[in-house]
Amino acid sequence: MPISFRKAFPYLIVAIQLAAVAWAVSMRPLPPADFTFDNGTECQTLDPAKATGNPENRVINGLFEGLLRQLPPKELKGPHENTPLTAEPAMAESFDVSADGKTYTFHIRKDAVWSDGSPVTADDFEFSWKRMLHPESASQYTYQLFYVKGAQAFSQKKMEGGTPIEIELTDRPQRYQTYPSGTMKHAVLKEILKHPEPEYPKGISPDEKTELESDWKKSWTYVVDLDGQTAAFSQEPDEAIKFEGKPPQACLTVMTDWKKTVGITAKDEKTLVVELNNSTPFFPELVAFYPLYPVNRRCVEKYGSPEFTQPGKLVSNGPFTLELRQLRDRIRLKKNEKYWRAETVKLKNIDALALRDETTALNMYLTGQLDWATTMPAAMIPQLKRELKDEFPSAPMLTVYFYRLNTNRPGLGDKRIRQALNLAIDKKKICDFVTKAGEVPAATYVPPGMAGYESPPGFEFDPERAKKLLAEAGFPGGRGMPHLEILYNDSPVLHRTIAETIQQSWREHLGIDVQLGGLEWGVYLDAQDKMDYYICRAGWIADYPDPNTFLDMFVTGGLQNMTGWGNKEYDTLIDAAGKEADPPKRMKILKDAEAIFLDEMPIIPMYFYVSKNLVKPHVKGFCNDVQDLHPLNTLEIDRELKAKNVGAGK
Amino acid sequence: MTSFPQLLGILGRRVLWLFFTLWAVFSISFLLMVSSPGGPFLGERKLPDEIRRSMAEYYDLDGTMSERYFKSLAKAFTFRFGPSTKLKDYTVNRVIAEGFPVSAALGVIALTLALAVGMTAGIIAAVKRNTFFDFAFMGLATIGIAIPNFVLAGFTIILFCFVLKWFPPAGWGSVKQIVLPAVCVAAPYAAYIARLTRTGMLEVLNLDFVRTAYAKGLSPRTVIVRHALRGAIMPVVSYIGPAAAGILTGSLVIERIFNVPGMGSHFIDAAMQRDYPLVTGIIMVYTLLLFTMNTLVDLSYAIIDPRVKLE
Repeated sequence: MPISFRKAFPYLIVAIQLAAVAWAVSMRPLPPADFTFDNGTECQTLDPAKATGNPENRVINGLFEGLLRQLPPKELKGPHENTPLTAEPAMAESFDVSADGKTYTFHIRKDAVWSDGSPVTADDFEFSWKRMLHPESASQYTYQLFYVKGAQAFSQKKMEGGTPIEIELTDRPQRYQTYPSGTMKHAVLKEILKHPEPEYPKGISPDEKTELESDWKKSWTYVVDLDGQTAAFSQEPDEAIKFEGKPPQACLTVMTDWKKTVGITAKDEKTLVVELNNSTPFFPELVAFYPLYPVNRRCVEKYGSPEFTQPGKLVSNGPFTLELRQLRDRIRLKKNEKYWRAETVKLKNIDALALRDETTALNMYLTGQLDWATTMPAAMIPQLKRELKDEFPSAPMLTVYFYRLNTNRPGLGDKRIRQALNLAIDKKKICDFVTKAGEVPAATYVPPGMAGYESPPGFEFDPERAKKLLAEAGFPGGRGMPHLEILYNDSPVLHRTIAETIQQSWREHLGIDVQLGGLEWGVYLDAQDKMDYYICRAGWIADYPDPNTFLDMFVTGGLQNMTGWGNKEYDTLIDAAGKEADPPKRMKILKDAEAIFLDEMPIIPMYFYVSKNLVKPHVKGFCNDVQDLHPLNTLEIDRELKAKNVGAGK
Repeated sequence: MTSFPQLLGILGRRVLWLFFTLWAVFSISFLLMVSSPGGPFLGERKLPDEIRRSMAEYYDLDGTMSERYFKSLAKAFTFRFGPSTKLKDYTVNRVIAEGFPVSAALGVIALTLALAVGMTAGIIAAVKRNTFFDFAFMGLATIGIAIPNFVLAGFTIILFCFVLKWFPPAGWGSVKQIVLPAVCVAAPYAAYIARLTRTGMLEVLNLDFVRTAYAKGLSPRTVIVRHALRGAIMPVVSYIGPAAAGILTGSLVIERIFNVPGMGSHFIDAAMQRDYPLVTGIIMVYTLLLFTMNTLVDLSYAIIDPRVKLE
């Protein structure tokens, strides 16, 4: 190697280093948005059918609009008290309900258009809801449409002889893209030929069992009547039982026939008819819930999922469009000038920041980088409430913090012990000294604030009665009590502090010693999923403002139950409530169900959450609501006030 | 001195070692991932079995353990990791493509800062040995190494964001927003480089050729920059490899505190949320980067010092 290169080498390195620095600082900063808020974390997806969680809710509510939309009344209350949100006409200018409450006819407004200028049609909704119900879409909220006739059977592929079915052949353009779909054949199912169900080994994990079961189902042979001819199809023809000596024809999916079995029909371009199994008084609330918002069929079929959600590709129909998305940084929304009531949207653009650290969010709020902070360090809350009182609107939410009790474990199967554990916790103390944001101690399970519903009387802190109940159960003074352990996720630290307070309470009032188990989030979820716990913490946020969203999860064997508890009378009441058309009667049935639930106590309700927000004084139109939604399209900036820089960080 | 054909041979062997290292790192991380409880489809709201199964198929997380291993291995070695399980709108490659330049930009500034500050402090401390400057710089260096960078971040935010109001406390997109995170990432590295430079300089300053250079009447600046530094820099050069890889791949904590959308923050979140494809992708990139940096350092070592012979 020539010596000259060796001599030049240090200079070369310095030159490279300088060039790298020049590249690193060559940034083109974005002009600031009209309104910037902390969205808590990165949105997992902007696809309404696949999203879950509040950060997604906020952005999707800005991008899309359903037939109805949850909106506050025109005359807003002050930011410090709850304003009721009601499902108001949005893409649908009106809807009719049949006399039996089972058929909804939505009339889509003529001036409703997508951001690409094409009209929003009833077919868009039919397509979107079918897509959401398709099991391969992996939507987590499919059950929200199970109130619709035939929807559950379609989604879970439940069919029997005589059911009209649709078969998708294997010519789908891309294996994992449900849309555009392959060739669809419509037939009538005659019978299903099945191998014997495999025997599942003992101790098999739920995932492994599902996999074996799924493989078995794929080997089924569907014998069908197709245009008057008998034919056979299977997802795994090589593994399937032969039909008339021949292997069945390969197909991708076999589902119930959408058009013939599911009660969702685009009657014409602007009319959508939805038939329900039962009268479901909260159906308008569901329609105004974001998983039921439409996606643009052409956009989905052109780009595929999830590619269609990218900026520049996403076609939306809400007050805003997607301008920019920088992962873990921000999503920038821009006002949609084609939105049917664009004149009511005051913000030109919005930045939703993906902040993961509560202290960072607070720092940014205090230095004026944020107009609205949705998270803040728990330890700072009392001080913030005191010092920034006017900027700290806080009001009750439809969210409950509770402890699940595994009723299959020794001791916890006894109702009296469960009741005693509940009665021996001073929940007010937890709210006053641990959570400190104004949370409400929970004597009942369903949070207050649901229109037309009042919970039955709950159980207040009563250590004496708790002691008696424990003695009746055979453990006076806690002697001989079986092992108990409280499981919680160790981040945030709040869960541990609450568990320690409860541990101390039970020791003091019941004489029992429980162990604490702090687990990393994934490990904790795994333990809860496998019911490998005694007592574990949980929380539940209302999907829609109705007690059913809380109560129906605890039916026997319910997916979200995870306590091993079941009660036939309770199940019957929940079922009856689903069929009851008269709202007051329905609420009475739900109240009776909650009374049983509280008496049986398979969970211990701890407290009801309050919303915690920091909002600058120049933000107008911000109102609290029980779901902590704060629709972005109602917000406005008082520019004069902003220029004066009033508030924290001035 | 290493000849060009020898160099090619060495590089060839290094590439083979790289594949072996990538495979070993992949296998160990795969084993750790599958043996840790929980999974990507668990959440506070439990998913129906059919949906879990659909998702497992979509993400290639079904089948026997060996099937999963080989599928995942094939993806890792083609650097096509597939979709992320949590950032559902993104593929792993896209997450890395968005996060890496951010970490790299922060890393370049931090590394430059660490080298400039560290070497200057080290040289001054060595030349002015046992004076106030020496004690002050080395004291600062000790503190720089000892103080965790998240504590330093807290101090800098209070001072520069709230008291002096010079810089914003978080965010990414403007030069002003780079300064504080870069300083916090650079601080411990600068401190270490200062100590290494001082030690190296002290050794070289006592050698005969330096004394000869002084005796020839050369100015102290010329002696230090032209003669002494080339020898003294060797420990720093060998430290730069792992330091650069560490800095470039992102400082996990600092990225989180200053909300810098780099790779480090993706890595933490991916591990916490059991996003197996993303974890695998980032680990592969880290390994590749670390290996490349070390190789580059070895090469530059041979170029700077002719006595060094690569093997």
